[in-house]
Amino acid sequence: MERRNALKTMAGAVGGLISLPAWANGWTAESIPSSQPFISTGQTELLAEMVETIIPATDTPGAKALNVHQFVQKMVADCYDKTAQDRFKNGLESLDGWAQKSFGKPFNQGDVAQRTGLMTQLSKSDDSAQKDFYGLVKGLTIRGYMTSEYVMTNLTHYQFIPGHYYGCVPVSKK
Amino acid sequence: MSYFNIDAQAQNTYDAIVIGSGISGGWAAKELTGKGLRTLVLERGRDVRHVTDYPTTNMQPWEFEHRNQLKLDVREANPIVSKCYAFYEGTEQFFVKDAEHPYVQEKPFDWIRGYQVGGKSLLWARQTQRWSDFDFQGPARDGYAVDWPIRYADIAPWYSYVEKFAGITGNKDGLATLPDGEFLPPHEWNCVEKHFQKKIAGRYKDRHVIMGRAAHITQPQPIHFQQGRAQCQHRTICERGCPFGGYFSSNSSTIPWAAKTGKMTLRPHSTVHSIIYDEAKGRATGVRVVDTQTKQMHEFYARIIFLNAAALNSNLVLLNSTSHRFPNGLGNDSGVLGKYVAFHNYRAGISAEYDGDLDSTTDGRRPNSPYIPRFRNVEKQETNFLRGYAAGFSAGRSSRTDQSGVGADLKESLLNPKLGGWYVGSHMMGETIPKETNYVALDPSLKDPYGIPQLKIAIAYDDNDDKMVKDYQEQLTEMFTEAGFKNIRVRDDHRNPGLDIHEMGGARMGKDPKTSILNKWNQVHHCKNVFVTDGACMTSTSTQNPSLTYMALTARAADYAVKGLKKGLV
Repeated sequence: MERRNALKTMAGAVGGLISLPAWANGWTAESIPSSQPFISTGQTELLAEMVETIIPATDTPGAKALNVHQFVQKMVADCYDKTAQDRFKNGLESLDGWAQKSFGKPFNQGDVAQRTGLMTQLSKSDDSAQKDFYGLVKGLTIRGYMTSEYVMTNLTHYQFIPGHYYGCVPVSKK
Repeated sequence: MSYFNIDAQAQNTYDAIVIGSGISGGWAAKELTGKGLRTLVLERGRDVRHVTDYPTTNMQPWEFEHRNQLKLDVREANPIVSKCYAFYEGTEQFFVKDAEHPYVQEKPFDWIRGYQVGGKSLLWARQTQRWSDFDFQGPARDGYAVDWPIRYADIAPWYSYVEKFAGITGNKDGLATLPDGEFLPPHEWNCVEKHFQKKIAGRYKDRHVIMGRAAHITQPQPIHFQQGRAQCQHRTICERGCPFGGYFSSNSSTIPWAAKTGKMTLRPHSTVHSIIYDEAKGRATGVRVVDTQTKQMHEFYARIIFLNAAALNSNLVLLNSTSHRFPNGLGNDSGVLGKYVAFHNYRAGISAEYDGDLDSTTDGRRPNSPYIPRFRNVEKQETNFLRGYAAGFSAGRSSRTDQSGVGADLKESLLNPKLGGWYVGSHMMGETIPKETNYVALDPSLKDPYGIPQLKIAIAYDDNDDKMVKDYQEQLTEMFTEAGFKNIRVRDDHRNPGLDIHEMGGARMGKDPKTSILNKWNQVHHCKNVFVTDGACMTSTSTQNPSLTYMALTARAADYAVKGLKKGLV
């Protein structure tokens, strides 16, 4: 491991010697809202509650605090075809109705167990409008959460510049 | 243009002109300026300066609005380039969009292009293997194309020359099929790759699994520091441009080196229309250029011209350079110009799993992978198809998360991935046989946005390629089985030619001017001051990634050209 530590140190030193140009500091792209609103403000709030239900705040922030709902709608608006976009919009329009049927209240007024229960129902639904809508939002929620700055920096410790590749590392050392 | 006054003509006159600034054009620029020639480098795209013009190079994953996924409108507007593995949100700026340079697909062909200073050298996969005499002797032994006018001994010193400057990582494996080079320390293997290597060595005398040779600086030498380049940092986002200069590109290496001589004039936004041939002098005198910003035509003059526009575009320039002497394209007395184009067959792949070595894993990332040199038909013909294939190979440890739940359970599971088993995979890189029927030509009526004829492309697979795909699948299945890999799956993605981005030939080298365009010095047989040293010159393709050979041929030709100028041979 001595060689590895030496390499690590060296790699760090090399990285440290190279200072990036000043303009590089400007690269902190916040997610910019689409110029045309893709869904209404009310639906955005609903979506925020839905992604928060899928990945809630615990001792670390949940999907809503990490703006994952903004990511989800941006992805659907920019990267998906009309079929998926319609499924997404129709799902958001129907969500309160589905909640009423499931626990007798609008979605946002349900408690955690009720909202989580509805998500599970949607995932198992025979109705593709429900199942596919849920699958789309859940997939993008996971992606947005796992690739958020907070998670990659504080929880999964992404290495932008590893500086090395070690081929055979004992699992116990990881 | 014919009434140019003498001052203007003098102002537009250089010792040498290099058409293109990609991997071979960059080398031509470096070599010619290094030998004291005032050199004009013409690039059809915009300038891309090292570091400052890599807008996404230091962006973190979360800084990409779409996490590097292409927007739907980009995909819909660009069905061709969107197929390229390296085209994503972070690299869009370095690829030619489909509408920018239209071409005619007489047969389906995915033409992937990079029009900017540095060309595709910014984007390449950086694998750099030497050819051997098994490759150079191929056409003569097996009776296809024409005999190469050079052998390994002719190019070996030039491989060394370019390798030292570019910085090539690799291991000295002592294989006759893949000669060793001037290597920086090799990358590490993982446990499963080592296991595979051992199993294959035990089972086959003639099959080898080696660490890939790649244009990455694993241990910088003084020559690399002089270029302002540093050790590769294993970010593995090379195609966005590397601020460390960790891999070789024209932008990080040859172009700034040429600029430092003070002898280079770089002119971006300059699409070459044609090479000017002077009937009285019996030589080329310069080039006609369309300025892509003003759409005006300009002429530039020089004593020698290096054509490095990338394989198919170099064909286009030659085909469009017509004169009374050369009605069918510059140097095309033989009629073979544009024909015998070939490429690499990347259609097949194989993947599997391995349930051993579960006590080990990997750490960090590696911009390279192991490589299996060609083992078919090496010493003699032994299969029902001509030639053979090399293969990439790699193994990695998967991690799995249970994503079935919802709520706090799901979150817990996402943040605590379980180490899964090993996955292994390989892809083929097959030699295709150059044929007269695989050709490019000028479309008689369609023009590009600059009034230059569109290229008509007719390139397809044949029966030899299909047989090779099948053999690769069978042989790799056998090798994977030998190694104890499980759940083996083979594929043939039937991708179009072109997506390999290894198109070659059309202005091939040869001994006989009746059947080739270029001689053994990459010099146009019938127009001695024009040199073509990019992929267009290739007589056959072998299986190696071709860029290293273009670099070596370019340095060799530039050396000959400058010596020849002094002796009056050029």
